[in-house]
Amino acid sequence: MANVLKHLPELEGMELGYIQGILKNMDDEQANLFAQVYRARRKDNQMILILCLLGFFGFAGLHRFIIGQIGLGILYLLTAGLCFIGTIVDLINYKSLAYEYNMKIAHETLSMMSNGNFPTAQNGNGNENS
Amino acid sequence: MKKAITYFRKLPLELIFWIGALIGILRIDPYSPHHFSLCPLDNLGFTWCPGCGLGRAMSLLTRGDFQESWSMHPLAMFAFAVIIFRIFELIRNLKTTKHYG
Repeated sequence: MANVLKHLPELEGMELGYIQGILKNMDDEQANLFAQVYRARRKDNQMILILCLLGFFGFAGLHRFIIGQIGLGILYLLTAGLCFIGTIVDLINYKSLAYEYNMKIAHETLSMMSNGNFPTAQNGNGNENS
Repeated sequence: MKKAITYFRKLPLELIFWIGALIGILRIDPYSPHHFSLCPLDNLGFTWCPGCGLGRAMSLLTRGDFQESWSMHPLAMFAFAVIIFRIFELIRNLKTTKHYG
């Protein structure tokens, strides 16, 4: 059983608990690999917050683009963040936007590891997520 | 009762916001000349912003007045599609995620 604080000490709150739940079925080597890939791919919630704040200067919706919601990104960009109302809501809500995206990335990483793209993680890793 | 409260706690703010927005839009009367506006820019005294008329355009769309809707704001149909898709996505997330720890 791997400890999340050892491998990914920068996480906090809900995300910390979620990743701990994933890591508890892994040994240290697998957890190390998972932490490397996950750290490279996750989005920091401060970045979401800053991009969201850019919405007040005319570039609304950049945070929606960066977490993969292209449709909402275009809508925000062309309507000044739904007349600022959408931007303000996302300003309050930025942590759960980042959390939602990071959960998706964690599952992608897990399925990549269980598909055998990484030779060290092949043995018996695929059953905790599917 | 307590169960209901914890259930509502778990609902994401964004889901409440989008559903509230759609309900609000359905309740707008798009034909009245003086409309009530939540828009902070409007309340600050700006007379125009790129999103002006989107709510009224979406409201006209639900009443089947496509031409008027297009002239009010051409993005209404797109906005409807995107928001409804996002609501479904949020509900799906709510059902499939189990929070460890």
